[in-house]
Amino acid sequence: MLLLQLLVNGILLGGMYLLLAQGLNLVFGVMGVVNLAHGAIVTLAGLFTFWFATTLHENPLIVLPVVLVLVLIVGAFVQRLLLEPLAGAGRKAELLSLMVTFGLSYVLVEGALNLFGSQYVSLPDLQTTWRIGGLAVNEALVASGLLGAALSGALQLWLNRTASGKALLATSQNQIGALSCGIDVRRMRAVAFAIGAALAAAAGVLLILVIPLAAPTADTLTILAFVIVALGGLGDYQGAALAALLLGVVQSFVGYYLGGDAEYVVPYLLLIVFMILRPQGLGKSGRPVWSERR
Amino acid sequence: MSLEERRIETVFQPPLAADRSSAARKRRALTAGATAIVIAAAATVPLFSSAYLLQLATDIVASIALAYSWNLISGFTGYLSFGQVAFFGIGAYATAALVLRTPIPWYFAVIAAAVLSGAIALALGTVMLRLRGIMFALGMLGLARILGVVAQNLTFLGGAVGLTLPAELTPVPVYLAMIGAALFAFALNAFFAHSRWGLAAMGVRDDEGAAVALGVPTVRVKVASFALSALAPAVVGGLVAWNRSFLDPPSAFDPTLDLQVVVFTLFGGIGTLWGPGLGALVLMLVGEQLWAFLPELQLALYGILVIAVVLAFPGGCVGVLNRFGWLRRRPILAPAVLPRIDRPPSEAREGGAVLEVRDLTVRFGGVVALDRVSLKVERGETVSIIGANGAGKTTLFNAITGFVAPSEGSVLFEGMAVAPIPAFERARRGIGRTFQIPRLMESMTVWENVLLAASNGRRADRAVEQAAWALEMAGLAALWLETAEKLTPGRQRRLELARVLALDPKLVLLDEVMAGMTREEQDEIRAVLRRLKHFGVAAVAGVEHVISAIADLSDRMIVLDQGRKIAEGTPETVLRDPQVIQSYLGELQ
Repeated sequence: MLLLQLLVNGILLGGMYLLLAQGLNLVFGVMGVVNLAHGAIVTLAGLFTFWFATTLHENPLIVLPVVLVLVLIVGAFVQRLLLEPLAGAGRKAELLSLMVTFGLSYVLVEGALNLFGSQYVSLPDLQTTWRIGGLAVNEALVASGLLGAALSGALQLWLNRTASGKALLATSQNQIGALSCGIDVRRMRAVAFAIGAALAAAAGVLLILVIPLAAPTADTLTILAFVIVALGGLGDYQGAALAALLLGVVQSFVGYYLGGDAEYVVPYLLLIVFMILRPQGLGKSGRPVWSERR
Repeated sequence: MSLEERRIETVFQPPLAADRSSAARKRRALTAGATAIVIAAAATVPLFSSAYLLQLATDIVASIALAYSWNLISGFTGYLSFGQVAFFGIGAYATAALVLRTPIPWYFAVIAAAVLSGAIALALGTVMLRLRGIMFALGMLGLARILGVVAQNLTFLGGAVGLTLPAELTPVPVYLAMIGAALFAFALNAFFAHSRWGLAAMGVRDDEGAAVALGVPTVRVKVASFALSALAPAVVGGLVAWNRSFLDPPSAFDPTLDLQVVVFTLFGGIGTLWGPGLGALVLMLVGEQLWAFLPELQLALYGILVIAVVLAFPGGCVGVLNRFGWLRRRPILAPAVLPRIDRPPSEAREGGAVLEVRDLTVRFGGVVALDRVSLKVERGETVSIIGANGAGKTTLFNAITGFVAPSEGSVLFEGMAVAPIPAFERARRGIGRTFQIPRLMESMTVWENVLLAASNGRRADRAVEQAAWALEMAGLAALWLETAEKLTPGRQRRLELARVLALDPKLVLLDEVMAGMTREEQDEIRAVLRRLKHFGVAAVAGVEHVISAIADLSDRMIVLDQGRKIAEGTPETVLRDPQVIQSYLGELQ
C-alpha cells in the first residue's frame, strides 16, 4: 500500500512537473534558447499567488487566468526587447541569450526577494485529504496535478490541431522552411517566449499549493524544468511527459526512503547521468542535446 | 524580415594587424607599466590602510582571482560554467579540514587544497566536458548544488552547522596570499593569450570539430584548462574561510559568487587577458559605493548589467578599448616578417597505397549512408569522388578521419588500420580534411588558423616555418594578418587548404572544394591543388557539381550513388560510363 501511495503521489507530482517543463521546451524548440529565468518566473508567480490568497482571502486558483494574461504580455515585451536582438546568429547567439536570461533571472529573483521576502511559504488552502481505499490523497496535489496535466494537454492540442499552433511547431522544426511558408518567424519567437513564460507562471500558481516556495528556489526549478526537457529529449513533448512522470515518481520514492536532501539532489544527478549515457533523451524524436555543431 | 545570419558584434575578437605599429608598442609599454604600478600599489595597501580598506582590497583581489580563473575555461576555452563556485567550496572545506585536523601550517593547507581541487577538476572534467553548451553550463550549476548538499550531510565537515576556524591568521598574510593567487591566475591567462596552448583552447572555443581535424587533442586541452581554472578558486576559498573564521555550506557554495564572476568577466571582456581584472576592479569599487545605498538591489543591478553589456557591447570594456587600439591581443607567435620558405618538391616518395578502404559500411539508424565501399589511393595520386547530394561523400570522409564510426569494414592508412586511432591523432599522422562549408576559427587571424594546424608536436620555430610555408603554398602570404572571417569565400577555401597543408599531410580529403566558387577562385584553388601534387600529397576530392573544374586534375574518378560505388576509372572512361550517365550525369543533360 505504501508503494502505491508513493507511486500516486509521484504521478501527481509528475503532472505538475510536466507543466513546469512545457514552457521551457517550447521556448527552446522555437528560439533555441534555454530560458534560465524560467524558474524565477515560476517562483515569482507562486509568491504572488501566496500574497494574493493570504491578503485577499480568495481562492488561489482565481489568480491563474490573471497571471496567465499578464505574463503573456510581459513575456512578449521581454522577448522583443532583450532576446530578439540576439536571434539568428548561431552559436554566438546561444551564448549571448544564455547570458541575458541568466541576468534576467537574478533581476526577477531579487525582485521577488524585495517584494515577498526570503521566507519559504506555502498556501494552507486545499489541504483536505481524501481517502480512497487505503490511499490518502491530498486535495491540493490532485488539483495541481490534474490542472497541470490539463494545461499541458491543451498546449499539445493547440500545437497539433490549430493553424497557429502548427505554425509555431513548424517554426521550431525548421525556421527557414517556416519562413518560406509565409510564417512570420519573428512573431512566432515572441509568441513562443510569451506562452513559455505564461506556462511557467501557471506552474508557479499550482506549485505554491503543494510545495513551499521562496525566492532562492528559482534556480532549483529552472534546473528541474531543464532536467525534464533534457531527459525527454529537446523538442520531444511525449518524451517530456514520460520524463516528468519518471522524475515525480523517483523523487517521491527517494524522498520517502532517503530523506529531503537526497530528494533535492535527484534531478541534478539524473541530469548528469542521463546526459552522459543517453544524450538523445527518453523519447524517440528528441534531438541530442549536444551535437557536433550547434 | 530576413533570416540570414545577422551580424552580432563579435564577443571574442581576433587580434589585428595594425597592432604592429610603434604607437601600439608604446601603448603596450604603457599598459605593462600601469599594471606593474597597480600590482605594486596593491602590495603596499596593508602598510598604511585601515582594517576596512584592507578588507575591501582583499575582496577585490579575491574577485580578480576568481574572474581570471573562470575566464580560462569559459572565456578562452569557451565552455560556459555556472558552477565554478564548486572549486571555491572544495578549497574552503579542504583547507579548513586540513588546518583543524592536521598540524600542517596554513599555507601548505591552502596549496594542498588547490592541488586537491585541480585533481577533482581533472576527474570531473573528463566526464562533465563531454557535455556541451548549455548542458555543461547547467551541469556545473547542478554539481555545485550537489556539493552543497553533500557538505551539509558530512558531519566531520560540520554539517549544516558549519565549522569554526581558529582566528590565528591576521588579515595581512591573507591579503598577500590572495594577491599571490590573483597573480597566479593572471599569469595563467597571459599564458593562454600568448601561447600555442591558448591557441588550441581558442580553437576548441571557435569550432571544436574543426580543431580536431587540425590535430588538436581537444579533450586533453579542455580538461586541462578546466583543471587549471580550478586552482586559484580553491586558494581563494581557503583564504576566505580563514579570513572569516567560519565556514558553512551556504557560504562555501554561494551561487551569488558565480553570478559576480560572470558579471565581472563579461563587463571587462570575456576571453581577453585584461577583461576579468578590469571588470572585477571597476565593479567592486563602484559596487562598494552603490551597495551602501541600495543593499537590496545588488543582485538585480548585476543582472541588469549583464543584460546591458550583452546587448550593447558584448566585447565588454576591453572590446570597446580595442577599437581605439588599446589592450589588443597580439597574433600568437607571429614573426615580424613572414619568412619565405623554399622547399624542393618531393614527388619521389616510394609507392604503395596511402589509403585503403575495405568494405566500409556506415549506417545511421535504418539509413545506410555507405554500403560496402572499397577504394585505394596511391601516394601522390589525385582521385575525385563524384556523386549527388546524399551519395555518401561526406560520410566517407567522416569515417576516414574519425568523425563517425564505421558500422562495418576498415580503413587503412599507410597500411595500418586507423580504427583505434582518435580523430585528432589521425590528423597529426597526415590525414587532412576540409569541410563542405569552410569552418574557420573566427576569433583568429589567418596566421593563427594555420599556426594552430602547424603546431602539432612541433617546436615553436619549426611550427612558424611550417605555417609560413603553408601560407605561401596556398597563396595567402600577403593576407596573413587578416581576420579569417573577413576573407572572401574563395580565400576562405584556400585558408582551409593552407591549414591542411600545415599538418604536413600525406593525404588530403577535400569536401566540395570547388562548390560556390567563381571561375577565378576555382583557378586559384586548382593552382594550389597542382602544387600539392608536387609535394607527393595524395588528394581525394568529393565533387557534386563543378566536375569540369576537377576532371583534368584527377588521375582517377570514383562514382558514388546512394552509398554505393558504381564506377571507377580514368575520368574519360567514367564520364562515358552508361550507368554513371544514367544515375548521375543524366539529370544534367
